[in-house]
Amino acid sequence: MSNTIIRFSHATFGFPGVVALQDISLEIAEGEFVGVIGPNGSGKTTLCRAVLGLLRPLEGSLRIFDCACEKLRCHHRARIGYLPQKGALDRDFPITVLETVLMGRYGALGLFKRPSQRDREIALEALANVGMENQRDTALGHLSGGQQQRVLIARALAQQPQVLLLDEPTTGIDLTTQHSVLDLVRRLHRDLGLTVLLITHDINMIRTLVDRLVLLKTRLFAAGPPEEVLKPDVLRQVYGKDLVITEKDLVIVEDYHHHR
Amino acid sequence: MLEMLSYDFMQRSLLAAALVGGLCSLIGVFVVLRGLAFAGAGTAHAAFAGVALAYLMGLPPLPLAILFGLLTVWATGVMEEKGRLKLDVSIGILYTATMALAILFIGLMKEYNAEVYGYLFGSVLSVTPEELGGIVGLSVVVAGAIFVFSKELYFIAFDQEMAEASGVPARRIFYLLLTLVAFTVVVSLKTVGAILVFAMVLIPASTAYQLTRSLSHMTAYSVVIGITSAIGGVLVSSLWDLPSGPAIVLLATSLFFLSALFSPKRLRRVPTGPSL
Repeated sequence: MSNTIIRFSHATFGFPGVVALQDISLEIAEGEFVGVIGPNGSGKTTLCRAVLGLLRPLEGSLRIFDCACEKLRCHHRARIGYLPQKGALDRDFPITVLETVLMGRYGALGLFKRPSQRDREIALEALANVGMENQRDTALGHLSGGQQQRVLIARALAQQPQVLLLDEPTTGIDLTTQHSVLDLVRRLHRDLGLTVLLITHDINMIRTLVDRLVLLKTRLFAAGPPEEVLKPDVLRQVYGKDLVITEKDLVIVEDYHHHR
Repeated sequence: MLEMLSYDFMQRSLLAAALVGGLCSLIGVFVVLRGLAFAGAGTAHAAFAGVALAYLMGLPPLPLAILFGLLTVWATGVMEEKGRLKLDVSIGILYTATMALAILFIGLMKEYNAEVYGYLFGSVLSVTPEELGGIVGLSVVVAGAIFVFSKELYFIAFDQEMAEASGVPARRIFYLLLTLVAFTVVVSLKTVGAILVFAMVLIPASTAYQLTRSLSHMTAYSVVIGITSAIGGVLVSSLWDLPSGPAIVLLATSLFFLSALFSPKRLRRVPTGPSL
């Protein structure tokens, strides 16, 4: 359990003129379920892109599977299953559910190799894991938002990843579906022993699921078990006066007031 | 009609049209899905500028057409990745600038050259055996590359960042796609002409897009539609003595409007299966 799989050491990320994440030091162990929270523009998606090896640190270092993130090679990337933020997807893209999930095999297969029967079996297994095996020939665009999320999670699973990286998996889908997607993630974490990194602005939704919460706003403000991070004085540093904590300990933040 | 098919030139032009129609509609699937339509139109004009320069300098047209086409299409790729301007603006500039170059080169020619205009408007009926050889060669290379890298090409068309993140060398595949677009345009220049070549890339693929929700079906439909309209267009143009480029493109366009009318995608969308 204690093997470190992702290690940020004083890592700074950004673009010319913009620092998106500054001086981040964080270790994530194999099999951990980590929630990453913070207001809009706090660098959550940058963290995600960094772990995927799409960004190199301006300062410090980030190592994943004991490999510097900017040197992540294709076969390493294939070990990180990624669910991008919703909205990037073209709903009219002509692709069936099975075709979508099979794409998860492409990185691991490498160039010049075609998906084999075994790859189809892996893809179907991934579909069964998210409860969508009966929809294999349905067009992706015909599915509801929650079903599409499941198919895209299956695509990530088809990579047979060690790490599952989910960027706002519950945004833009209705409440019941949000719970069913999160239940699915919890089950996959438990049954497949995946290391899960879940990025969200919805603190209440994940507080009971995760082993640890990471609180970001350009810098890392806190990292620890939910009960340690979700304290008014800790949260107030990041959310300021937009923070309301109700009697039942629900955290309410006026997230959309935060613009960079 | 049958008698017409016995002429050498007719067989050559039918073969050239079928190859070009098939190739354009094949690459068109990726161009339409990846959203590169405008980039390709710019490339066609740049390749034509290359042809004009070659005629001006008395050089063979093919290498310069390829060079101009490649430089433009790669510049478009760089602009998409790093550009500060909106892509349609920067491509618009590139597109008109290369056309200005072409007009400049034609203006510098001492005398009127009908062959140059053949590349602008297309003249499939005058394809020579050597040109047909070039078309066959480039078609094999482009279609071969698409076949070998099809899974990566589909993936970057679907979502390039997701492809990159899951271990596909997406950037290199994107530039490969741009390169193949340039080669396809150059192959097709003589047959359908610089102005209309992009219709052959876009229309069959867009027609197929209307008809299906599966990647493999879309590809197959697109190629069949492309070859059919190319051959049909050549036959129509020789039967009624019409210019071949417009005949091919207008036939393809009619098929497009038919497919848009009867597209299952235009019908009311009913989600299948139990909702979550």
